[in-house]
Amino acid sequence: MKRKVVILVAIAALLAAPAAYAGDETRWVNVHVTENSSNTNVEVHLPLNLVLTVLRNVDVENFHGGHVDLELDDDMDINFPEIMAAVKDAPDGKFVTVTSDEADVNVHKQAGNLYVTVNQKEDEMAQVEVTMPMELMDALSFGEENTLDIAALLQSLDQLPNGDIVKVTSNEANVRVWIE
Amino acid sequence: MKYQRGISTFGAVLLAGTAGLLTATLMMDWMVVDVHVLDVSETDDIHADVPLHIKVPFPLLIADIATGFIPEEALQEARIPPEARVHKELVVETIRALLDSPDAELVKVRTEDANVDIYKDGDTLRIAVDADDAVVRCNVPIDGILEALEDWDWETVDPQMVFDILHAAENGDLVTVATDDGVRVAIKMW
Repeated sequence: MKRKVVILVAIAALLAAPAAYAGDETRWVNVHVTENSSNTNVEVHLPLNLVLTVLRNVDVENFHGGHVDLELDDDMDINFPEIMAAVKDAPDGKFVTVTSDEADVNVHKQAGNLYVTVNQKEDEMAQVEVTMPMELMDALSFGEENTLDIAALLQSLDQLPNGDIVKVTSNEANVRVWIE
Repeated sequence: MKYQRGISTFGAVLLAGTAGLLTATLMMDWMVVDVHVLDVSETDDIHADVPLHIKVPFPLLIADIATGFIPEEALQEARIPPEARVHKELVVETIRALLDSPDAELVKVRTEDANVDIYKDGDTLRIAVDADDAVVRCNVPIDGILEALEDWDWETVDPQMVFDILHAAENGDLVTVATDDGVRVAIKMW
């Protein structure tokens, strides 16, 4: 009898384990920085909610309540929402290719993601890779006074699958930002 | 008159008083400052030829009472800069969000000189620094800090705030410092 109870409890625990795991829906923002020259390694692992709380409460110059002032000249009339909508609706392909002695820049869209890659050819020889899922485009909220809602952008990360957001590789340091 | 065996009034009062004192002592929060110098060869004191070990137990209740005697004028003069007050909301909300966050290692730093680890463990933030010349462990009561900062007026220095935080600290080591020259300092809560 006792053995049956033990087996039943063990089966229940095994079945409950994945359910308990699935219930933990905390999203984490990870930042990993490695400085090559000094062998310094910094790993930051913060809950997305904590990051959002900080962003929404920061009140400094050019950054208020999660909104960053883009500091664009008044005579620059850029319709950001329209540009974002155009990018989102555009078919997959290369949008921008810049080749120069200093750096190569490439912007392309593929499988629901917008990729920006920069390959620096001098100084730090940095390689930058930014992955921007199209869902983030919807979250890009521009205010009337040329402000960008960074908090809303980060909030949308909550809906994204795990993966890299920014990856920078250079002679001096490597930076990786990802969500999980 | 026939002699009756039993406890005298004086004895009963003494017993009750001792029991009350013992209970109050056990229920009080105590802070113990423990300083231990293992290597005295570097010290200037020529009489210090034996390792030094000082342990000072300190009831927080005494500190609570003592802060009440600080003149109001002295506290009024110690004003907090207005720049700090502006960030009250940020600080309080960040600590509250941290308290609500699941337990995890939040920061990990590895350098050639030192390692730093910051963990959230329940209501406590555990900070560990392992440097070449010192090892530091610090257990910060997040809930105590949040409560103290919420109650604080953010205008004047409030010594009581420190003791409110200490009251909230878990029993055990609050801070320990061990240096490579043999000094061990521990502040424990009990």
